[in-house]
Amino acid sequence: MKKWFSVMILVMMVFSLAACGQSNNEKSSEGKKEQKTEQVFKIGAIPDQNAADLQKGMDAVAKYLNEKTGLKVEFVPSVDYAALVTGFQRGEISMAWFGGLTSVQARNLVPEAKSIVQRPRDAEFQSVFITQPNSGISSLKDLKGKSFTFGSESSTSGHLMPRYFLSEAGIDPNKDFNGNPNFSGSHDTTYKLIESGSFQAGALNISVWEAAVKEGKVDTNKVKVFYTTPPYYDYNWTINKEIDKKFGKGTEQKIKDALLSFNGEPKEIADLFQTDKFVETKNDNYSKIEKVAKELKIIK
Amino acid sequence: MHKWKTSFRLHKRFILSLILLAVFGWSLFAVKWDADEVYHAGGIPTLGQIFKGLFQPDLSPEVLSKGLEAAWITLAYAVAGMSLAIIYAFIVGVLASGTLTSSRAARLANKVFFRGILGFTRSIHELVWAWLFVAAIGFSPFAAIFALAIPYGGILGRIFADMLNDVPKEPIKALWAAGASKLEVLFYGYLPLVRADMISYTMYRFECSIRSSAIMSFVGLGGLGYQIQLSLADLKYDQVWTYVFYLIALVVLVDIWSNFVRKGLTDRKRRRGFSTGWRASLLAALLIAGSWIYIYFIDHADISDLFSDQNAEYAGKFFGGLIGLNENNPAFFDAESWASALKLTYETLEMSVMAIGFSTIAACLTVIPAARNIASGNLTISKKWYNWPLYGLVRLVYIFSRSVPELVWAMMIIFILKPGILPGALALALHNFGILGKLWAEVIEDMDPRPIRNLAASGASKIETLFYGILPIVMPRFLTYVLYRWEVIMRTTIVVGFVGAGGLGMDFKLAMSYFQYTQITLLLLCYMILVVIADFASESTRKTVK
Repeated sequence: MKKWFSVMILVMMVFSLAACGQSNNEKSSEGKKEQKTEQVFKIGAIPDQNAADLQKGMDAVAKYLNEKTGLKVEFVPSVDYAALVTGFQRGEISMAWFGGLTSVQARNLVPEAKSIVQRPRDAEFQSVFITQPNSGISSLKDLKGKSFTFGSESSTSGHLMPRYFLSEAGIDPNKDFNGNPNFSGSHDTTYKLIESGSFQAGALNISVWEAAVKEGKVDTNKVKVFYTTPPYYDYNWTINKEIDKKFGKGTEQKIKDALLSFNGEPKEIADLFQTDKFVETKNDNYSKIEKVAKELKIIK
Repeated sequence: MHKWKTSFRLHKRFILSLILLAVFGWSLFAVKWDADEVYHAGGIPTLGQIFKGLFQPDLSPEVLSKGLEAAWITLAYAVAGMSLAIIYAFIVGVLASGTLTSSRAARLANKVFFRGILGFTRSIHELVWAWLFVAAIGFSPFAAIFALAIPYGGILGRIFADMLNDVPKEPIKALWAAGASKLEVLFYGYLPLVRADMISYTMYRFECSIRSSAIMSFVGLGGLGYQIQLSLADLKYDQVWTYVFYLIALVVLVDIWSNFVRKGLTDRKRRRGFSTGWRASLLAALLIAGSWIYIYFIDHADISDLFSDQNAEYAGKFFGGLIGLNENNPAFFDAESWASALKLTYETLEMSVMAIGFSTIAACLTVIPAARNIASGNLTISKKWYNWPLYGLVRLVYIFSRSVPELVWAMMIIFILKPGILPGALALALHNFGILGKLWAEVIEDMDPRPIRNLAASGASKIETLFYGILPIVMPRFLTYVLYRWEVIMRTTIVVGFVGAGGLGMDFKLAMSYFQYTQITLLLLCYMILVVIADFASESTRKTVK
């Protein structure tokens, strides 16, 4: 008995020693290692839809950027919006596909970051409000006393702008619904929750909605759109600071050009983004989002 | 007056139970018990879909292999975290026990200081630690490992210190008299005496750490919880259950292993060759080695990355944010923020009381058939054909209930019930009732059977045996476990809030999403106050029970 106990202690000690030893070795070769890891241009995307589809489309983006720029590009999936913003702030993510609100949050934390490219539709993006056909809801005002779900709390088209238009219509989401509003976490989850009848109404991104209808992922006998919001600026590719310093001069421009030259091929990218081209954008386009977010006290 | 005192002393357990019952009743008023207020419009159909997934889990090879990989990551993080926790717990536990100090004053100072450290590290839930580490060192496996090691080290360390303090003093005195040094006394006096208990408790905690490791994904670290979360987001309940089954299997395997180890420690049989003890410790060594190798070489975690200047800068920024640097109006100096935070604190308290109430009721209803000695008829001298199947069924439900973390229960319940404190309380109750039932059943199994057999032999009915025989004996320990679980539930309330089940956690998650650091500090403060109150209330009540 005594023996095997001492063996256990011994094993533990050896391992803690081994752990220390290893870290020492690695420290000495740190310089080399850092260079190697920094050569990977990591891209991220807010997890606002089905994870498998996102992975497929973003892997295609990584491959596309690699072919166009010669950089080693890798897609890093993330489980929630805030996690991606944190990764961006820490410089672990070099470029990210953000929603309007998350891009504003990210640029708040990294003032040198830039919103560079978006889809044509992002200049006039919209949200749809959905419900079951027989729910008796036909305008925003009818939502009083009904159960309601937003998407992620960090989503522009699934939370921020719907909340804004709700309060314009005289509905206070914190008081007027039946119970507190739910945060489903993603647009796909939102329409599924309405379809299954878990909630009576919800709001989501128009582009995800249209794709779901087109691909037959949602049963339109069970869910209908009853309100579409006025247009606002939304999604964009936001590039981190010091990209040229890390990856060599002109990298930022190269990435931007590569995105702008996208013409609908490969198909995986077109499918994910529901677009056949990207256009330029600038930080100022998002000042309205910033204003609304400040009004709703989501950012300071 | 004197009479009153005596009658209080005689009936204090009864009075205490009444008080606890009243508190539970009070907590129920926090919810409007109207079907419309409780369920979503479509809550019941959703419940049906979840149940359908339970009986038809997705068994496609793709999901199965994904689950296997995720299960391994979960296990590896848990093992690595626990191995660090043991080192931390051992060192700080020994210091906190005061066995290494000779003067009385130094011993007291040591005890207060190191017990304080242990108390602080275990009072914060591992998921909150994980989130702090992610903010400070990024998405490295070490964030998960440290987040597990710190609170578990705190719990283990306290127990180690208690055990060292409780050893019989005679052998120690003998060693002192023989002129042994302090370290010699520790290694040859204290340690051999407490070794078996230490290992057995560590194994018990290891099982818990598997579940904790699984939920690390909720701050963005891999494992089974990540897969569960992804499939829940896609509302694929059949896949959710597949991953949950993996988790259950993992917990059950660890349970069996830890039983082996404990048995090896209690049966002091020595056999030639490989004894169970040897085999179990060899397995432990292999697991620890395997996990660290995996984390270093396959997961590419690099400990040197943790100490980069960049990380120091971010950690500095982050903690600066928490204490309100560069903030004109920190939330914790704002009366309005305090008011709303305290309201949430109150709600969270109600949630915890409701949760322990529900789990106590559920455990009460099921514990009798769940005890092995009742099932076999040894205790009550009555054998019925349905005893064993019932025993198996209840035990299966217990395993199921405790293997699934509260957070996962909460994520499913939130689709059925409206967001608020009820789904949170239910999720906590679902998880804890299995644990409570198991602990209670073990109390019954360990009790002295003679008084009960006497009662049964003299013709007492089943109900009479229960009320006059079993209950008086097991009641104090039952109450102790209830209070102890309540402390644990209190710590966990913040976690179920993360997914929208109300209370402090929900606002904590929102503050995290909006990067409102001072609000986070405020909520953490309220959370700490709750945990301290719970610890204090539970400890003083437990003393009364004794």
